[in-house]
Amino acid sequence: MDRAQFLGSAVVGVALVLLALPASGQSFRVQCPAGTQLHPAIIANDPAVPPANYAKYSKVTQWGRTDGLLNPTPAMANPHIKCQQLSGGDGYATMADGTQMYLFAFGPLSGLADIVKGAPATETAAVFNQNNLDGSGAALDVVQVGAPYPGYSFNGAIGLVPDVEVNAGSGPAGAPLDGHVDPRLVMDVGVMNGNQPAPLIVIDEGDELFLTLTNVGMIMRPDLFEQHTVHFHGYPNASAFYDGVPDASVAINIGGSFTYYYLAPEAGTYMWHCHISPPEHLQMGMVGQLYVRPRQNSVVGNLHSALAALQTDPATKCSGTDMLCSTQVPPVDNGVQANGRNYAYDDGDGSTAYDVEYPIQMMGFDPNFHFVGMTFNPESFTDTKDKYFLLNGRSYPDTVGGHECSGADDPVAACNPVAGALPAGAVVAGPMSTQASDGTAHFSQPMPTVVNIPVGGKALLRFSDLNVTEYHTLASLGIPMHVIGYNARLLRDQDGNNTDYYTNSISLGGGESVDVILDASPHDSLGAPLYPVGSKFYLYTPQLDHLSNDAENFGGMMTEVNICNSVDPTTKQCS
Amino acid sequence: MRFPHFPLGSAVCSLSLAFGLVAAPPVEAAAPGITAATLSGSTSTFNLSAAPSYTTQPDGMSIYSWGYGCTANSAASFAPAGINANAAGAKCPTMQVPGPTLIVNQGDTVTVTLTNNLPAAAGNTSILFPGFNVTASGGANGLLTKEAQVGGTVTYTFVANSVGTHAYYSGTQGDVQVEMGLYGAIIVLPTLSGGLPTGYSAWHLAQGANQPDTCTALNKKPARASNPAQPETDYRLAAAAYDNPGACYDREYLFQLSEVDPAIHQQVEAQKDQACTSSTGCMVVKTQPYHPVYYVVNGRSMPDDMDPNYVSTYPHQPYNGNPHMHPGELTLLRIIGQGHLQHPLHEHANHVRLLARDGNLLLTQSGDSKLAGPLLFTTTTTPGQAMDGIFQFTAKGLNWDVYGHGVKNGQRVDSANCYPDANGYYTTASSTPAATTADNYYEWCGDHLKPLESKPFGQVGEGGPVTLPDANIVVNGTWYGGSPYLGPDATTRAVGPTPIPPAGTVGNDPGSEAGYAYMWHSHNEREITTNNIFPGGMMMMMLVDPWVYPINEAN
Repeated sequence: MDRAQFLGSAVVGVALVLLALPASGQSFRVQCPAGTQLHPAIIANDPAVPPANYAKYSKVTQWGRTDGLLNPTPAMANPHIKCQQLSGGDGYATMADGTQMYLFAFGPLSGLADIVKGAPATETAAVFNQNNLDGSGAALDVVQVGAPYPGYSFNGAIGLVPDVEVNAGSGPAGAPLDGHVDPRLVMDVGVMNGNQPAPLIVIDEGDELFLTLTNVGMIMRPDLFEQHTVHFHGYPNASAFYDGVPDASVAINIGGSFTYYYLAPEAGTYMWHCHISPPEHLQMGMVGQLYVRPRQNSVVGNLHSALAALQTDPATKCSGTDMLCSTQVPPVDNGVQANGRNYAYDDGDGSTAYDVEYPIQMMGFDPNFHFVGMTFNPESFTDTKDKYFLLNGRSYPDTVGGHECSGADDPVAACNPVAGALPAGAVVAGPMSTQASDGTAHFSQPMPTVVNIPVGGKALLRFSDLNVTEYHTLASLGIPMHVIGYNARLLRDQDGNNTDYYTNSISLGGGESVDVILDASPHDSLGAPLYPVGSKFYLYTPQLDHLSNDAENFGGMMTEVNICNSVDPTTKQCS
Repeated sequence: MRFPHFPLGSAVCSLSLAFGLVAAPPVEAAAPGITAATLSGSTSTFNLSAAPSYTTQPDGMSIYSWGYGCTANSAASFAPAGINANAAGAKCPTMQVPGPTLIVNQGDTVTVTLTNNLPAAAGNTSILFPGFNVTASGGANGLLTKEAQVGGTVTYTFVANSVGTHAYYSGTQGDVQVEMGLYGAIIVLPTLSGGLPTGYSAWHLAQGANQPDTCTALNKKPARASNPAQPETDYRLAAAAYDNPGACYDREYLFQLSEVDPAIHQQVEAQKDQACTSSTGCMVVKTQPYHPVYYVVNGRSMPDDMDPNYVSTYPHQPYNGNPHMHPGELTLLRIIGQGHLQHPLHEHANHVRLLARDGNLLLTQSGDSKLAGPLLFTTTTTPGQAMDGIFQFTAKGLNWDVYGHGVKNGQRVDSANCYPDANGYYTTASSTPAATTADNYYEWCGDHLKPLESKPFGQVGEGGPVTLPDANIVVNGTWYGGSPYLGPDATTRAVGPTPIPPAGTVGNDPGSEAGYAYMWHSHNEREITTNNIFPGGMMMMMLVDPWVYPINEAN
């Protein structure tokens, strides 16, 4: 704790310096309206507001409004408005051989309770807009150095506090949560909270995403005045302004926040990363995953009819001269009805249905580059040679482990399977933390990559690759890979016929993504599952030199596939 | 100096970029090349040389290289028409990297006579034309084809029956000779009946009444060519890349991706003057382990690749990589892997519809001639493989008006209209047809008048979802005009009477152009460096220029 307090005072020092900068407005802030023109707030959703008062509220959030209306409360938020806050800074991760690896990295500053479980940190406005202060005006206990940790419970935006300047005289009780943040709280949590990979972003087609990047600085590299950005890699019809390329838009200084705004594009597996000096910031770890779920997930009834109905709206049609869509209506209605499953794309034929999904990011780290990156010297790009080959920021065996259970009280789901709590010391697939240079354990790697498939079911593997030096191949031993999407687009020709294919390996370069279904549904000639409960298969790289953890000659890019009785689609736990 | 840590938009980088762009004010591009020295009937004859010279890199390095060129130090004619009209003039030196782009017609009998002007120590040389059935004559027998001996010639003849983009390169000691620069492209233009692909009329009709013609000419959209104030000339090599309605396009660019390992070039240079009579040369060159430090597009690294074609600065690297387009235009990308390595070329802003690989059009099984190639946001290049794809940018679906139309304080800030056509765009097919000179031609009408900013600075629509940041907490990029909007009018309105500093940009003048800039680059990110210095290497800035700004592809 002494070390943690030491860090805390250092952080405050940095914060004070930041506050001393000339600023005509607040530098750190978040944006997450409860209602917009496209997605109006639902006033009746706030039970605290009696119907007689509905007329006092606007359905659209506008700070500083002069029309006499009240802004919608967080409880009124439209569920299609999604918000997320990220730190841009640095941190440490643990490699499978125990090496502590310095990162330039993004960390979570919202959705912390979700991300420590390996879930997306993208929240609705109602969840995001939570006061960081308790009734007495003190900061919540959970907003602290080292957050999050297993069992963490707060998903709101870190730092969000009532803006007392807006409602002067009324005190915190009457002041709105208008995006004003307390920089001390942001710095407490945000400094050195970098994750590998960066926080997962998941949205649905039609959602509005307000993604706030808060640059907390890299405390291990005080010589740098690095800006950061977010590039939505693969977004169709991206706007240059929100594309994150510093040359073509803006880059965010230390001590500042910037909110990226996008309407969710067509469904698919995208990725995101910083675009400042990409050879350096990507290799150092500023890479993350992003995917968009299709409208078809909410369809009731015939899938073909639902896709055909989208053709009447130019915004969603896929025909005519548009060369850039891949969800043409299949020529024949195969009669498939929505059955509560999820789909990778708006396929209209159910061909992309799955039971459980796994985002898997491929990456490589060169320990020499990272070591030099922690010093004050320029790194060599041409001599970069990766020595760690990562799935979701970990290599084997951490891909199937990473967390040591503390006993029955351990909040990590894998420590408490249906059969009963695992004993203390048991290693399970769970979140990893890494002790940073402040002596404090910081949450570092949220996601194991154990692929659990319910018997007879299907798993969607959303592969993305952000390696900056070489291509990766990953093979499936056992269950064939059914490739249904590529670069965030359904594999389908302009006649509406699928061009999917089966293979046992996929190869990706940096900046490519592929959607693969591991289909455990086939049966043998006697009707028994071809892949019975208890089967274990492997995903591994046939690039043999990638099956290593630096000097350890076993490990690398490899993980397990398990066939289970059932799999919880949220926790991904096998039972 | 901690150079690699500067973002590209910072002051240090701006200086280096400014130097290149100030020297070359016009925008330029196209896919220039040479056509036959003698074009008689359906015969195309080229006289090429393989010769040594020096190429340059933006870090100041001068690199001894070999390249193909025109033996006559010029070509009889250049394509596209109009590429000659530029100030610098199209050129075909005796040595260039990549070699001259050979432009021929489908069905032509192509004859290439190669003269070996390499130093004697290099030995024989040759050309392979993968994808064509080549007959070689003259010269000496080699392993893969007949070869030209030092000072001698060899002749290759084939029928250009594979339409599209193809590579050509040395078939002799490839690990040395191709690395030294002996590679180039051949483009085979399709035979189009009446200038249009087969079935175009029916295909076009099926798009809906009055839908914009996607094939006839560049000026089918706003008639820029007929607007004397804003002339735009058609720089396409053909109306379509293939005899297929889906292969029609408005502009085209050719990107040949390769690498340079200076250690190989230095070994060759050190041995170039030794006496030699052997057909396999007398050099001992260690080519492995391969350790490139330059990653080039069309023989140039960023920022040199964004300078004009044929600019005198790079006498032996005539081709650039500088794509421009207007919203809605169909842009043909011809991409070839010419080096040792795969490169994941990432196109910011949209997907590329893959048309063909190595001249093989990817079509549906039904025989209806529709496209079946995948949509890619990263087009991996593989050594020796060529691909053709179509790129288009429309800004559809952002949920805000990219031209900054809207309402502020109850007043319209702009009088522009947007009437959707069947696909939702403002075109000549709209219910109230767009004037062909409309500045917001091809606007996505679904977002017309939708504000971006809650309380905007300047004169653009208000009431939108976001508040833009204090200008103090961000750094503006070289290609960023100070506003999120497209077009000089919108940008001027958005930044107000006193522009937010810094408003002047090098690549994207908010007063006249104010386009959207996107980085097209290798996503093996270490390849966007020049000899360990970022930025550089395999990187280009693609500009979506507003329709009001004319794109002049003439060098």
